[in-house]
Amino acid sequence: MANSEYKYDITIGILAMEGRGFEYPTDSIIASNGHIYVGNKSRDYGERGVRISNLDYESEYYGSFGHYGFDEGNLISPNGLAEDLNNRLFVSDDYTHQISYYSLEGVFLGRWGKHGTNPGELDYPSGIAFNSKNHLYIADSKNHRIQVFTPEGNFLKSFGSLGNKKGQFNLPWGIFINKHDELFVADWGNNRIQKFSNDEHVKTYSCKSDNSTYLNHPSSVTELNSGNIVVADWGNETVKILSAQDNLIQEFRGESGISKWANAFLETNVEENETRKISNLENLDAISELVDPHSISAHIEKYFWSPVSVKLDSKERLYVTESNRHRIQVYSQIKRSD
Amino acid sequence: MNTKTRTNIELLAHLMRRAGFGSSLSELEKIAKKPYEDVVDDLVYHEESDWVGEYHIRRFDPEASGMINPEGSQRRWMYRMITSNTPLKEKMTLFWHGIFATGRNKVLVGKVLSNQTDMLRTYGLSKLDDILLNLAKDPAMIIWLDNQENHKNSINENWGRELLELFSMGVGNYTEEDIKECARAFTGWSIGNVEYMMVRASRASDWPYGRLAYHYEFKDDDNDKNDKKFLGHQGPLSGEDIIEIICSQENTARFIARHMYHSFVEDEVEIPSWNDIPPKNPEAIQILVDAYFKYDHSIREMLRVLFNSDFFQSPKVRYARIKSPVELSVGLLKLSQEFTVPHRDMLLRNNQVTYMGQGLNDPPSVEGWHEGIEWIDTGTLMERINFASAALGNINHKGINDLVNKIKKSTSNVTSNEELVQICANSIGLIELSYDSLKTMSETISNIPELTDKVLTTLRLIGTSREFQRV
Repeated sequence: MANSEYKYDITIGILAMEGRGFEYPTDSIIASNGHIYVGNKSRDYGERGVRISNLDYESEYYGSFGHYGFDEGNLISPNGLAEDLNNRLFVSDDYTHQISYYSLEGVFLGRWGKHGTNPGELDYPSGIAFNSKNHLYIADSKNHRIQVFTPEGNFLKSFGSLGNKKGQFNLPWGIFINKHDELFVADWGNNRIQKFSNDEHVKTYSCKSDNSTYLNHPSSVTELNSGNIVVADWGNETVKILSAQDNLIQEFRGESGISKWANAFLETNVEENETRKISNLENLDAISELVDPHSISAHIEKYFWSPVSVKLDSKERLYVTESNRHRIQVYSQIKRSD
Repeated sequence: MNTKTRTNIELLAHLMRRAGFGSSLSELEKIAKKPYEDVVDDLVYHEESDWVGEYHIRRFDPEASGMINPEGSQRRWMYRMITSNTPLKEKMTLFWHGIFATGRNKVLVGKVLSNQTDMLRTYGLSKLDDILLNLAKDPAMIIWLDNQENHKNSINENWGRELLELFSMGVGNYTEEDIKECARAFTGWSIGNVEYMMVRASRASDWPYGRLAYHYEFKDDDNDKNDKKFLGHQGPLSGEDIIEIICSQENTARFIARHMYHSFVEDEVEIPSWNDIPPKNPEAIQILVDAYFKYDHSIREMLRVLFNSDFFQSPKVRYARIKSPVELSVGLLKLSQEFTVPHRDMLLRNNQVTYMGQGLNDPPSVEGWHEGIEWIDTGTLMERINFASAALGNINHKGINDLVNKIKKSTSNVTSNEELVQICANSIGLIELSYDSLKTMSETISNIPELTDKVLTTLRLIGTSREFQRV
């Protein structure tokens, strides 16, 4: 049977408080214009760093918008990104508990949302996604539910509550809606992915095939054309591909090389580059006493460190956004025969 | 509540203020069902379990996880202290940080500082030998005291000197020659990729992909393996041998015991005066020294002996210490529950703690902080009062809202403002107010008609009181 697996392709990004680069990116999408949009939280909720970056696969940089501030058009803590059927970019802000939307050129179009716990109110909106009716689904994280709105902010419905039963959530994070309008939720605090059809729970993924690979606080999910799903297994600092039967097909720990922007930096900063060349940034033996994947990732630069978002482009290339390494690792499919 | 029970619970309140960051009345009532010695055992032996705060930090405050700046490590630690279910571990981590004071102005990388904090948390209650050995291998300490510059053919004495003077024995208990020999034993105790890390540090470089954690590396070819003479011992002494010798000294036991008394029993004079001014309670120090040797240098057992001792339980030492800024603010944030999960305002609270004079991972010098009355000056006192007043007066915070509702329910038979003040003081941890404080507060709230406002004002006043500012 012909199948496919993913292989490391390129890295996009570099840490930068302003301009070309990212600072604590939280999500990325590959929009209908082929551009990549990346939300950045910044290091200290400060005036520099917060922005939506606009770039493409070739690392061409088109500028940024949605900078820090409380005024319309500004953001304090961007979290999830999604494009609607009218090619508008929507951004959730988990500090103001609002949704802002822009044209793909970065022109501010509107903002809505109210903080609270009642239906239609938001508390720490995280992942967002549109269905085929152009309804916006929001992971209303601290209310432990999914809420649904029109793009202009009219409340339609909500479902879910705090708990670990089917259809309940614990601080849900990333969400994804497939072409059949089925919803996948990274149910972060419950260490699972839940799948819904017509707002009814239909399946749970936890990577149950092997005790050692159980999902650990997943942050993001998407679905391949094959029906397999890709999960950012955030707590394990890996990305997993799971079958529809919840079996592990492939797992990545991260293989980042040097991005175009990083290369430009190193070429102009000779002293850093020269000492870097004589360093071993993959020395696992030196940290053999560490067991926490997060701590290991702090040492091993090529590994994922806080993978917060998994997204696909039209070629099914996989974009893994890493918050703590301020970059996106891209993986491409290669065909293989079983 | 009968007299015996009340005595017991007041003693527990004292214990929890010292071994942790204070407990509310409802928390105290839960643990009061056990004998005092069992509560001490729980504190001393309890290992942390099912604490999900680390995941919360990583998700809700990414910089406190990636730590480009040192403030991230401060916020992470603060959140941990507020939400931990092992308060003594946190208190001991803070205790050791005060002694092994390591600072951001030289180490720069928050993650490296944070890893040191984690190390102190892991080993803080174990044998002193293990603590010092891990400290010697700790990358933040290596950078802080320049041990990466300590080479076989060109020693740097910084680590060797402070190991003896500030970290274990105290000045006057060794010679200059001992310092040199000690430094020789630790040559080659360095970090991996040292050239690259030092270049990045010199430029505060985050590029290309953020900070990299440091790891310890023993450079065998740079280690002096020749004979050394140290504190009466001779031979090809290694760093491990040096630590073993240090930990076998009575002066070391006495030095650690006095630190422990200073931090958990009552304010002592500052360390530079220890050679000139004897301890306030020499018998207590001797009890702790004896425990040190009896229990094979175990810090855990020293603490158990201390908390079970008469000198600790004596009413005379209650409120005999001034809360450090961290103790004060962590206790208040525990009560207010402002941070059930981390969020942006932790940045502001952390800054306020720094303004009070105790920025975590940012000591004024290698000597750490001067404590006791030196925490207080006109500026820091205002910060402390404002912080306490704001924390206890905000009903939007869950902890305060719950507290106010509980107090209001218990005031149906209250006939005087004095009684109300006493109920409030009990609710936030059985604070024993003086007659003057009680009277002043009662008068202040006498003209407030609405009960919620009255309770909130009372809580704010208690937070600013002399008694609450002490421990």
